[in-house]
Amino acid sequence: MLSLALGLALGLVPRAALASSTPVPSPLSSAGPQESAPQEDAEGEVLWIHAQRLIVRPGEELSNAALLVRDGRIIAVGSDVVAPEGAREITGEVACAGFIDPWSVFGLEPEAAGDERTNAATRSVDGIDPYLDPRLRQQLVEAGITAYRLQAGTRARLGGVGACVRPHPGLPPDEAVLLENCCVAASVGITRGERGQDVFDRLAELDRLLGALSDAQSYLQDQIEYRYELEEWQKAITAKEKELEEGFKKAQKDREKEQQEAKEKDKEFKEKKYKEDRRPKPPRYDAEKEVLARCVSGELPLVVEVHRVAELRGLLEGTQSFGRLRLVIAGATEALAVAEDLAERRIPVIVWPAPQGRLLLNGSARPLEYSEADPALASRLEEAGVEVLLGSGGAFPSGTRELPLLAALAVGYGLDREAALAALTTRPARVLDVADRIGSLERGKQADVLVLSGDPLATTTRVLYVVCAGDIVVERKE
Amino acid sequence: MTQALLWASLAALGASPLPLARGADTFAVHAAELWLGDGQRIEDGVLLVEGGRIKAAGRGVDVPLGTPRIEHDSVISAGLIAFDCAVGLDGETSEPKRSVLATGRLIDAFDASAEGVAAALSEGITTLVLTPAPTTLAGGRCAVVKTAHGTVLSAEGLLALSLSEEALDPNRYPTSPSGAMTELERLLGAGQGALPAAARVAVLIEAPTRDDVRRALGLAERHGLRGALSGSRRAGELAEAIAAAQLAVVVGPFASGVAQRELDSVVALGRARVPLAFALELPTRHPAGLRLSASLCLRAGLDPAAAWSALTSGAAAVAGVQTRVGRLERGLDADFVLWSGNPLDLSSRPVAVFVDGVRAHQRGE
Repeated sequence: MLSLALGLALGLVPRAALASSTPVPSPLSSAGPQESAPQEDAEGEVLWIHAQRLIVRPGEELSNAALLVRDGRIIAVGSDVVAPEGAREITGEVACAGFIDPWSVFGLEPEAAGDERTNAATRSVDGIDPYLDPRLRQQLVEAGITAYRLQAGTRARLGGVGACVRPHPGLPPDEAVLLENCCVAASVGITRGERGQDVFDRLAELDRLLGALSDAQSYLQDQIEYRYELEEWQKAITAKEKELEEGFKKAQKDREKEQQEAKEKDKEFKEKKYKEDRRPKPPRYDAEKEVLARCVSGELPLVVEVHRVAELRGLLEGTQSFGRLRLVIAGATEALAVAEDLAERRIPVIVWPAPQGRLLLNGSARPLEYSEADPALASRLEEAGVEVLLGSGGAFPSGTRELPLLAALAVGYGLDREAALAALTTRPARVLDVADRIGSLERGKQADVLVLSGDPLATTTRVLYVVCAGDIVVERKE
Repeated sequence: MTQALLWASLAALGASPLPLARGADTFAVHAAELWLGDGQRIEDGVLLVEGGRIKAAGRGVDVPLGTPRIEHDSVISAGLIAFDCAVGLDGETSEPKRSVLATGRLIDAFDASAEGVAAALSEGITTLVLTPAPTTLAGGRCAVVKTAHGTVLSAEGLLALSLSEEALDPNRYPTSPSGAMTELERLLGAGQGALPAAARVAVLIEAPTRDDVRRALGLAERHGLRGALSGSRRAGELAEAIAAAQLAVVVGPFASGVAQRELDSVVALGRARVPLAFALELPTRHPAGLRLSASLCLRAGLDPAAAWSALTSGAAAVAGVQTRVGRLERGLDADFVLWSGNPLDLSSRPVAVFVDGVRAHQRGE
């Protein structure tokens, strides 16, 4: 009984903290990067991390170099960085930035993970499970994952606002949030429940999405017009006020004179009516349109899971009119057919590089949208000039832990090692708008560092140390 | 570079590099590393192939003058072996009406051209163990086949038994776990003759739960059964007992979303030195799943030597074909893979695969 009460009390703390520290953002407020409080190290400990091969970012490597970490940040990187006195010294063969999974459902409340009734305004951070077993987060950092996009409603048409989160096992959930609005997710033509969809169903879903974007654009237009009209109205009112103020004495005299005249002529005195312009009315508030308007204006990227050629083509064609939309495609099983277009428009693609088995009619081994799956997809898209990201498919919470293995498999299937590393670090950081803080080992970045026994994309490599937000969260003897 | 060399060497082999039957040619392959399969890794080794079999493997092998030579700058190993496969027509691995098919043979449902076989070959898998579905109490004999040339290694392999609740059906006997045990005890009983003489035939017992594993261990002890357990997700909790019964365990397949506990179970089996093999479930699963299963276990802490044995020589021993495949050793079939790197690293891929001394797969084709 006592333990139950204690458990409840302990459990409720993070929930309350979450509620208090992540206020609902005002809808059209500009969402600049909302930085979580940097991890103040109690002792102000300095970490000195030395590696034979220090990968600052894919394509930029230093040999026999070191980096210094203080207060959760990288304060120096280079071959000449020496360990200051009293610094904690960590050495290894290879050091690189922590991996980022741009397509994950890890850490959501179990009931929320498969929710198909989310909408554009659903906030993934609200679904974070405060009771999640910390060992699961520990497994993630042990695999080298130091950040991921938490996305609710991955099986829904509109999944809502995704968050960029750290799986730091020691941080309360709210402090682990790097950016609570990093994108809006949608899906077109995927298997929902037991039901696969034919091409017309899929295209109808696409039309709904494009329709919603178009509505959001009108909404945005109305908002802009309203603000303009309001400004004009305020200007007019101010001008009128000024005019009245200045002409006050003359107007008073005129009025008295008119009153006098009326009295003399024994007529009824009529007050001059003052007419004021009506204040413009704001457009009716719509939470979903508010969020999608932020996509249309280019503030938040729109990540659409879409797999087959018909809807891929339709999506590319239909989004052309939204000039500022930052489209990201996820899944993309048959995207080779539109690779040229994707490359030209610089649309990033998140590929889940898991080997997919055969489709079974009953007890299907994989969803219908993966029926043409090819383990070499990532490599072929990359060769065609498409910017490829690797993600864990948004299907299983623990899939995120397997991402580094699957990335290695993609390398086996021809993906360039450097591109694969970028697909796990710099590219997701950029796409999720957190590149100013994570994704590389540059000076000034927050310290998410892996120290490894070998190449980051070899599955025989062991993760020796993981530094997450400046804290050592994994420490293993070789 | 590797491929260019390989092509040059293959061209030197003669006009037709792809004869359909067992290779009659003699040729040598020189590799930066030979993984013999018994734990030995020979640097700068040579594999000498003659008539589809391995004539010699090791360092300083005496290669006759004029023997065509293939150069490979990385690892060469024996081909991989995958359990729990079904290559043939759908539904041919199960029997809905009868619970005992002691003399059934999976080889009769083997179709060498079936979906998934070529893909398995391209993943470096040269041997498949075809297993009856666990929906039948006694499902008949497993078959062991190769992924090229339609070669059959064993038409009457392990006898498949199932303690899974899938084998229980309200419309036929047995309908309960105790009924299943009674029936198996009767079938295995000395002198009954209903099942092939248990002492001579190894069995593959499907035992999904912990209780099933206990029951299987009991059967094995009472009837002196040899062989392996399969489908046992938590077998690791009984690792010592399984080791004492001298049974092997077929584990997996594992993929994205696997519970850590299942992987920890495999690690525990490895620690107890229980012989292991990996299930693949071809064609339901992608053949890349075999090495993915092994990699997941490695990450969980399985000893690399145990993992490699489970993919090759150990699996061959479980399947009863260790005198034919699983190692690079004089007299064994010349089934081997030229890898682009360490075969236990998922970022390595087969560059070429030879079966019966004949190149059956070449990357990029």
